[in-house]
Amino acid sequence: MSESSMTRRDFLRTTAAAAVVGTAGISLLAQPDAQKKANVVLIRHQHVVDSEGKLNPKILEEMFDESMATFFRTKNAGDAWKKIVKPGDVVGIKTNVWRYLRTPLELEQVMKTRIMAVGVQEKDIAIDDRGILSNPVFARATALINVRPMRAHNWSGVGGCLKNYIMFTPNPPDYHPDSCIDLGALWKLPAVEGKTRLNVLLMLTPQFHCLGPHHFDKQFTWAYNGIIVGTDPVAVDAVGLKIIEAQRELFFKEDSPMRPPVRHIKAAEEKHGIGIANLAAIEIVRLGWKEDSLI
Amino acid sequence: MSSIFLLLTLAMTPSDTMTYSAMQKLVPASIRGWQASEPARFYSGREIFQYMDGAGEVYLAYGFSRLLVQRYARPQQEEILVEIFDMGLPRNAFGAFTNMQGRGPAVAIGQAAEYKSGLLSFWRGRFFVCVMIDNENEEATKAVFDLGSRISESIGEDGPTPSLLHVLPQELFELQTLRYFFRHEILNIHFYVADKNIFRLNESTDAVLVRLKSDKSHLLLIQYPSSKEAAAAYADFTASYLPDARAEGWIQTENKKWTGCSVHQKYVLAVFDAVTLADAQNLLATLQRILP
Repeated sequence: MSESSMTRRDFLRTTAAAAVVGTAGISLLAQPDAQKKANVVLIRHQHVVDSEGKLNPKILEEMFDESMATFFRTKNAGDAWKKIVKPGDVVGIKTNVWRYLRTPLELEQVMKTRIMAVGVQEKDIAIDDRGILSNPVFARATALINVRPMRAHNWSGVGGCLKNYIMFTPNPPDYHPDSCIDLGALWKLPAVEGKTRLNVLLMLTPQFHCLGPHHFDKQFTWAYNGIIVGTDPVAVDAVGLKIIEAQRELFFKEDSPMRPPVRHIKAAEEKHGIGIANLAAIEIVRLGWKEDSLI
Repeated sequence: MSSIFLLLTLAMTPSDTMTYSAMQKLVPASIRGWQASEPARFYSGREIFQYMDGAGEVYLAYGFSRLLVQRYARPQQEEILVEIFDMGLPRNAFGAFTNMQGRGPAVAIGQAAEYKSGLLSFWRGRFFVCVMIDNENEEATKAVFDLGSRISESIGEDGPTPSLLHVLPQELFELQTLRYFFRHEILNIHFYVADKNIFRLNESTDAVLVRLKSDKSHLLLIQYPSSKEAAAAYADFTASYLPDARAEGWIQTENKKWTGCSVHQKYVLAVFDAVTLADAQNLLATLQRILP
């Protein structure tokens, strides 16, 4: 074993040294760097998902519009969309259709409506997940919108905005080694690089734990009732990860890092340079419901 | 759909065709009013990534051979999805089952089974099987159980569990925390140790990870083909993970809990996150006495 190895003890040292702010897989000890600071909007609404798990589409639409206007510092959501999409754009909305926890269809349609309101023709908009490589609209896309729910994942630790782009490669297994540590490299693929205008990580009912490849259990989800919006996929995922790690600690009543540990978010910053993973360098603008925000 | 099925059929070798044909016989055409709604789909080896993304790595790490996917439909009812993983060997199927173990209550199907929230998983022989519905209702749940039982009967033969299991005193640990594996990637899913394979796990090793009832610490027991290989793995682990340990091989790690490791003939034993040093040392001493 001549090559040095990253061990659990390295994570424990980080956690022990940063006990207050904790997230083991992300470098929290670094000082904020004003040159690299990222912003996200975290919006929550107590009633967007009711006690039976039913989504209120109207509230979701209002939340999303408010988050867009706030993030892009515009008077309304329509003006925010004008900042990121132009009438001549061809727009691919990369969604996620995992059968147990998919992107709500209602939100996909809200996005499409807002993009059309900017002046993009309907034929130049596509919403897709597993078929993006054969989707003609995605093939000529000039702009991408990335939207999906956050969930625990049996191989990468979590599935968030970074992992959502794995369908852009014809050979996803290339990105599987070492708990998918190099997912950040996907963002430099020709079909992707420089095209993503918006990342939306849905934290409505995130899944914070899984046992096995198929595993979905409502026991391991909770109504966080939130959405994280930003242009930096790394920052968006880092904030989402912090929230579900905090929920794990509450649920399991012990220090319970993601299994396997999430390494791709930190690597997306440090190795691939596509965003900010350091929570201390991310400004979180909080809107709406504040109770049990966990961050 | 039919073109996909045709392509799959054309791609099969004669021996594969026999195998697929045999697998097809494991699933009934109908059950409780549900009918097979499309031809079964088959995936071999790395073709599993055509069916699932990163999660396919878990099955490959357990020696996955081929997968049958069959969907069942009934008007006004939930779709039932069946996945039969031919894992090649009983130990692989058992391992794949333990990887998901702990989801819910045990049920009496196959050699071991669990059911919760619409998902029935079980293993028998060299097969690991999942039968699932998205939303539970009484009729669909009964169909899931009947389908699982039918598939188990069709498999017909039990397979042996890894002999390493019989070494562990069952009263020491929570059965639902038991994980059996032989690849470090699976170890890291359940208890992250290191990015490198510092225990030298491979297809010729057997490993069991359990969580102890007494103090919730983790016990890892690995059997190597020879004492020489066990000694080499012990040396790698202690050099990488416990470089600051005392000669006895124990260290109080950064979370204030105790980690230690020992080697006994062709076995390596490690305890992680024990609350007290004395309890952890006693545990390893006890296990060393009962190991063959």
